[in-house]
Amino acid sequence: MTTAEQVGKTRFKIFQTKESRLAWFLILPTAIIVFSIIIFPAIFSVWVSFHDVGLHNLNDVFHAPFVGFENYQKVINDFAFKFQGMKSWGAAVTSVFYSFVATSFTVLIGLVAAMLLNRPFKGRGLTRAIFLFPYVAPVVSTAFVWRWILDPRPSGVINDILLKLNLIDLPIAYLSERGLALLFVIFFEGWRYFPFAMLMILARLQAIDSTLYEAADVDGANNVQKFLHVTIPEVRYILGAVFLLRLMWTFNKFDDIFLLTGGGFGTKVLPILTYEFSFRLFDFGRGAATAMILLVILVIFMTFYITIVMRNVEE
Amino acid sequence: MKKDRMNFLGHLAEWLTWSRFIYSLILIFFLTSILFPFYWMVSSSFKSRAEIAGREPVYIPESLNLEAYKELFSSEHESFQNFGKNILNTLKVAVPTSVIAVILSTLGAYAIARLRFRGKNFMLNAILMVYLFPGVLLIIPLFAMLAQVGDNLGFNVQDNLGILIFTYLAQTLPVALYMLTNYFRTIPDEIEQAGLIDGCSRLGVIWRITLPLSIPALVTVSIYTFMIAWNEFLYALVFLNNHDLFTMPIKINTIFNDPSPRPHVVMAASTIMTIPIILLFLAMERFLEEGLTAGGVKG
Repeated sequence: MTTAEQVGKTRFKIFQTKESRLAWFLILPTAIIVFSIIIFPAIFSVWVSFHDVGLHNLNDVFHAPFVGFENYQKVINDFAFKFQGMKSWGAAVTSVFYSFVATSFTVLIGLVAAMLLNRPFKGRGLTRAIFLFPYVAPVVSTAFVWRWILDPRPSGVINDILLKLNLIDLPIAYLSERGLALLFVIFFEGWRYFPFAMLMILARLQAIDSTLYEAADVDGANNVQKFLHVTIPEVRYILGAVFLLRLMWTFNKFDDIFLLTGGGFGTKVLPILTYEFSFRLFDFGRGAATAMILLVILVIFMTFYITIVMRNVEE
Repeated sequence: MKKDRMNFLGHLAEWLTWSRFIYSLILIFFLTSILFPFYWMVSSSFKSRAEIAGREPVYIPESLNLEAYKELFSSEHESFQNFGKNILNTLKVAVPTSVIAVILSTLGAYAIARLRFRGKNFMLNAILMVYLFPGVLLIIPLFAMLAQVGDNLGFNVQDNLGILIFTYLAQTLPVALYMLTNYFRTIPDEIEQAGLIDGCSRLGVIWRITLPLSIPALVTVSIYTFMIAWNEFLYALVFLNNHDLFTMPIKINTIFNDPSPRPHVVMAASTIMTIPIILLFLAMERFLEEGLTAGGVKG
């Protein structure tokens, strides 16, 4: 090794250490905040789930008595959590059912919308922007507008239309009837979140090589065949990715259902149950245990996401 | 031969119109179901009490009745809601959240995108994981933890807008960091190398080269973080008790749950909350759409 090379190497090293010091300096504020308000609380919530934490000892949390799996037992045996036949699903089953159905519905509408917008027509830009409205508008206002549209009185819009069309004889309380409420919450999810799926799918559709369609034309394929054998294989991967991402977000979602039904009438999902245990009953231990159960299911979804989606990305 | 050809064209024309017909039908269905709720929100906000409480819905209000808005803003109204205060509270929370999140995430994202250091991938993955975390999971430990810290340092965890901003950073920083990292990676490294060779320091390069090139991304991220804070419901619901400190979403929820239902007032407040967001979105659509697919609004 010549001296010049050595000098070059040490200089590079100095440059590197200097650079990594700067990197840490730049990232430190973010890291501290992320750690103190996300990572530490996340770990702390595991701790809380094994302790008896309530309003009475909130100012001395770290000395709360250890109760082992008692919180978990309480949650699992709670009538709001447990599956008790078709009439009362309990939060765990409702959550999983709701997330899967609502997500499938959302992705399906997203696909239809993306295909609508994939064809050129006058005013496509504006239409595209309008299609995004439900997604960007605040959840509070959209939820309350829908509650007002679905008003149980005969003066509710949907009731009025259906009554005038003679499709129903009596006004229906859409959001306060077991079964119907869950159905309409799922509709709302589809209405509100399809734009996200639409944008992702549209981006993929526009990247499809047009020669594929030309080749299909030459082979004499009709539209249905083109859709099944060209479009679907091309968007299959993005459909899966969007589905899993939305599935996790839907599973976590608190606001939508809380604002629409308050978690009543068979729509109580795990996030709402967590909220009720913690901030209605002020039993933080039980709330944290519920959140942990939610997290375990979420981690299962996440594992799917990472093994399927991330691996595909690398390929 | 010629007749056959005509026939084929005729069929084609017929098929085309049918497909177009169905296509427009679906499009109209989509547009109606998207726009009607927004129309209903705005139009209901201008209805009088009689129109709201009638036996049949009023599709077009007879006149622009400002009763609902008077209840929100005019102190002379019998059930004055002082909504101006709520708008101000929301701004007091949303603006600092957005500014702090953008500044911190710019620094962090630059380090992740450009510099080499140990623990980088771990940090990036940890942040991405957070992105998929349920907000409801974090709120319990945050509440318990901040209550404890507050007790020791002598501040109240509830009814403290500063604390609310702090918790909003937990929700906005990962998004901001993720989006900005992706953006910085698209800026060619050569430009910065040229700056370094010309004798700029790293910080000089960031300030003189990277940031000016990233203005679109910075605008996008600040609007997103602003929107997240503007719309946030759960944390505000848990952390705020005092009506004077309520942000708009919580206030609207309170008006909605009032024993005497006043949908026109709820709709007026919702309109006020929604219009700025829609206008902001329309004005910045070009930038924002990219961010939406990057998961800008976690929802």
